[in-house]
Amino acid sequence: MLEIRDLHASVAGQPILKGLNLTVKPGEVHAIMGPNGSGKSTLANVLAGRDNYEITGGEALFDGKSLGDLEPEERAQLGLFLAFQYPVEIPGVSNMEFLKAALESVRAAQGKEEWDSVTLLRKAREACKQVDLDAQFLKRGVNEGFSGGEKKRNEIMQMLLMEPKLALLDETDSGLDIDALQTVAKGVNSLRGPERGIVLVTHYQRLLDYIVPDFVHVLSGGKIIKSGGKELALELEQHGYGWLTSGDNGDNGKKDQTA
Amino acid sequence: MSGDTALNLPEDLKTRALNNARQATPVEALAPLRQDALAALEGTAFPGRKTEAWKYTSLYALTDGHLAARAEGAAPADLPTLSDYRLVIVNGRLDEERTALPEGVTLGRAARRLEGLTTPFAFYNGAALDDAVTLDVAANTDVAAPIQVLHVAAGDAPSHCNVRLEVNLGTGSRLTLIEQYLARGPVLTNAVTAIQAADNAHLTHYRLQADAGDSLHIGTLLFQQTGVSRIDSYQLMAGNRLRRNDVRAFLDKSGAELNMHGVFVARDRSHIDNQLCVEHRVPDCTSNQVYRGLAGEKGRAVLNGRIHIHPGAKGTLAELSNKNLLLNAGAEIDTKPELEIYNDDVKCAHGATVGQLDALQQFYLQSRGIDAAEAKRMLSLGFVNELIMGLPDQAVADWAQPWLAAELGGRPGADEEAA
Repeated sequence: MLEIRDLHASVAGQPILKGLNLTVKPGEVHAIMGPNGSGKSTLANVLAGRDNYEITGGEALFDGKSLGDLEPEERAQLGLFLAFQYPVEIPGVSNMEFLKAALESVRAAQGKEEWDSVTLLRKAREACKQVDLDAQFLKRGVNEGFSGGEKKRNEIMQMLLMEPKLALLDETDSGLDIDALQTVAKGVNSLRGPERGIVLVTHYQRLLDYIVPDFVHVLSGGKIIKSGGKELALELEQHGYGWLTSGDNGDNGKKDQTA
Repeated sequence: MSGDTALNLPEDLKTRALNNARQATPVEALAPLRQDALAALEGTAFPGRKTEAWKYTSLYALTDGHLAARAEGAAPADLPTLSDYRLVIVNGRLDEERTALPEGVTLGRAARRLEGLTTPFAFYNGAALDDAVTLDVAANTDVAAPIQVLHVAAGDAPSHCNVRLEVNLGTGSRLTLIEQYLARGPVLTNAVTAIQAADNAHLTHYRLQADAGDSLHIGTLLFQQTGVSRIDSYQLMAGNRLRRNDVRAFLDKSGAELNMHGVFVARDRSHIDNQLCVEHRVPDCTSNQVYRGLAGEKGRAVLNGRIHIHPGAKGTLAELSNKNLLLNAGAEIDTKPELEIYNDDVKCAHGATVGQLDALQQFYLQSRGIDAAEAKRMLSLGFVNELIMGLPDQAVADWAQPWLAAELGGRPGADEEAA
């Protein structure tokens, strides 16, 4: 469903992704790990279509369509969902009003039946309950004054309602305590299914204790430099990223001595 | 146009105003006030292009001849009902048949000389009044339901009306007053509302200006807090061909508190000019002003927020915030806080910004499948909705939300017409 080939991308003119390849098939959960500044969040934002995140080479296909040609809303309507690393506060627009506009648009585009306001409210309350978010948050401005954990729960709550084909979670674990992490993981796991792809972008292994991936990729310098199964994440946890990123053959130590 | 036919607009307006006032049908109850105002009008010049307080607002639209005729149109049949109690004032005259007032409120048909109002339009208002409405709220009366005052102006040709409302809140009284302006057609409403609050009085005031786009409005709102009182005023205003709102507030007894919240919207080619002036003349009073402005297409909005803290007004707390949103490059908003502080022992804060829609907020909405145009509409509504969400009366909020949504959707056709 997601086919990324030799993707190059710049942020405000600065090249960040430099030849990234990744294939996600329905039913798979992929984790993308990597040190700070390796391009993880850039990848998520490029795929979602954020302004100033520009594809400069290669391609990213979602269900055969080139994402670079689509507006952010068109990507969402096709079933792509980005859970933001830093969810945006929008005072004056209530969470409920926001969900209503989003779901009306996405469900219509996907040919799903429209939810009337009673159904929408019921579904929204259920989704809140699933991520342990008080239903009062539906009345508040989008993310307005929410704590870090509440914002992340709000992202997952939206994801549950939108039922995306492909969910991208950008450092959803950052800033969460262990209880919140478990709640969020439970929400994500409930979406796992043969039709759906999930891409977890994360810096730490601990999220993967709760959402066990099928594949783990290490992103560094704008490319995927190693891919493996879930055990790769454990290796990274033990050894850090250094043994992968310090040189092509891992002989960084020698170079240091000669430097 | 040759030089000798060029119009001296201020002179022309003054001549018109004086003639109208001298020829107006006498009204016995208003005679002393009218004489007084006429004398003041004689000694006052109308603003021209070089008048500082009218820097951003031209009176050129009045060359259509609004002052040459009185508005005589009929009020529309379907007027919004926001309360069981209401007054309907049509072209400046009270419609007695449609009057319903609660107990504890006395209706009068007089007007008094108003200290602190020195503009030519306010003098003209007093000098040419056909009618005036005074509401006296008895001491220690908690008025059960809001009083809605509908100021209707209607006319098919350029014309004008003078509207006068005075409200006096007795000691310990409470009132919710909803002033709603509804002009239809090319009519200039020249309005004065004066509100006086005695000790322990509490007023919740709304000023809803939903006039048609081709109408004009020049008005003054005067608050006189002669007692330790509290006034909460909510002002929702759409721009039209010409809208000029002066607000003057006098905090004249220690402990008085004034809170003003306003939203103004100038879309298409509409114009709105807000001139606020809060006078702190005694110690320990509080004023808090929060205004949000929004302009799109070729709309033009102005806010000048003057806070004048007199030498004796120690312990004053005064705040003014005005955030504005420009929807596109053709629109313009001019905002200026103007602080005059003559006492060191005060707390005074102000902030004014003009910005554009936040790109990240817009991306967030779009990333959820909401298209760009709808995202913009939601964000601009959200920008002012924070204030609407804070309205204490549900009936007003229920009226305001769809009205504002329609205003923010733009008035289709209006721009093409004007172009």
